[in-house]
Amino acid sequence: MAFRPSKRSRRPPESTELKLTPVMNLMVVLIPLLLTSAQFIRLGMIEINLPPAVGAGGTSIGVPKEVEKKLDLSVTITDTGFYLASSLAVALGEKGEGPTIPKTPDGKYNYAELSRQLYEIKQKALGIFTDTNKIVILAAPDIDYQTVVSTMDATRSIKINGKIYSLFPVVSLGATVI
Amino acid sequence: MAFIPSRIKRHVTDTGEAKLNLTSMMDMFTVILLFLLKVYSTEGQLIQPSKSLTLPNSTIEKTPKVALDITASKDWIAVNNKPIVKVKDIMKMNGLIIAPLRKELLNYATEAQRMKELYGHPFSGMVTIQGDKHLPYKVLVRIMATCGKSQYPNMRLLVYQQES
Repeated sequence: MAFRPSKRSRRPPESTELKLTPVMNLMVVLIPLLLTSAQFIRLGMIEINLPPAVGAGGTSIGVPKEVEKKLDLSVTITDTGFYLASSLAVALGEKGEGPTIPKTPDGKYNYAELSRQLYEIKQKALGIFTDTNKIVILAAPDIDYQTVVSTMDATRSIKINGKIYSLFPVVSLGATVI
Repeated sequence: MAFIPSRIKRHVTDTGEAKLNLTSMMDMFTVILLFLLKVYSTEGQLIQPSKSLTLPNSTIEKTPKVALDITASKDWIAVNNKPIVKVKDIMKMNGLIIAPLRKELLNYATEAQRMKELYGHPFSGMVTIQGDKHLPYKVLVRIMATCGKSQYPNMRLLVYQQES
């Protein structure tokens, strides 16, 4: 019988290395692809609610006028600062005249103070009025769009000690100034 | 006893082949890949902000929806990227309604109404307004008043989200 060589000697050497090159190719393609399509700027959307039509009696049938107490809060943005007004009164500034919340000495609008005062109004108005989440924003004709949006941010919510409180998220824009 | 290197094994130690150690790089790539896959969203690509304007920043967290698109850049008012009227003309005019914009919007509205009758596609009257952040308030109000009078009462303002 012929000599049969041992099977063990033919065993190929074990390859201990992983073949990483195909995976690397994949990564090199996928990462630039995802990086270019990733969006680093996120878009948002502010819903605008039209002011309720005056004189439309459809919804308030059967409800006596005295029961529905409306706050009708409004913020007016002018060149000098914010004016706050409601159905009860116009809030005056500290000197008794001029805007309720004047600009800061360096000429910027005082959004923090606006939020704080609205928070106080919200606390007082809760339970008394029916429309404690609505606000109307009015502005002088030449106010920047950014200012209007920042005012909406200030009237929407306030952050106190790390907690976010909702103020007046249902916002309408008014045009009576023009 | 001191270490005496073997004379026989002296030449065996070097295999003569340099190998890259890719495993740590692979780890890193896997992490980056997973992160990017997680950040990647398919929804946000539906609305592209116009190149000709800078949107204002806001702290709101609502994500935009697709709707009829009104762009108000520094020079032109456009509906679905079709220029309609110059901003300068709006500044000069009296009253709240912008007639050319109203005509264009009513065209879209009648088309949408026909779609509703033919295919049952609901007409929401929703419109997205992209405005430049230096747009004066009176222009904004006139655009919005025109939308409200032209069967598009549901208005949304497009903004950049900003960490508060």
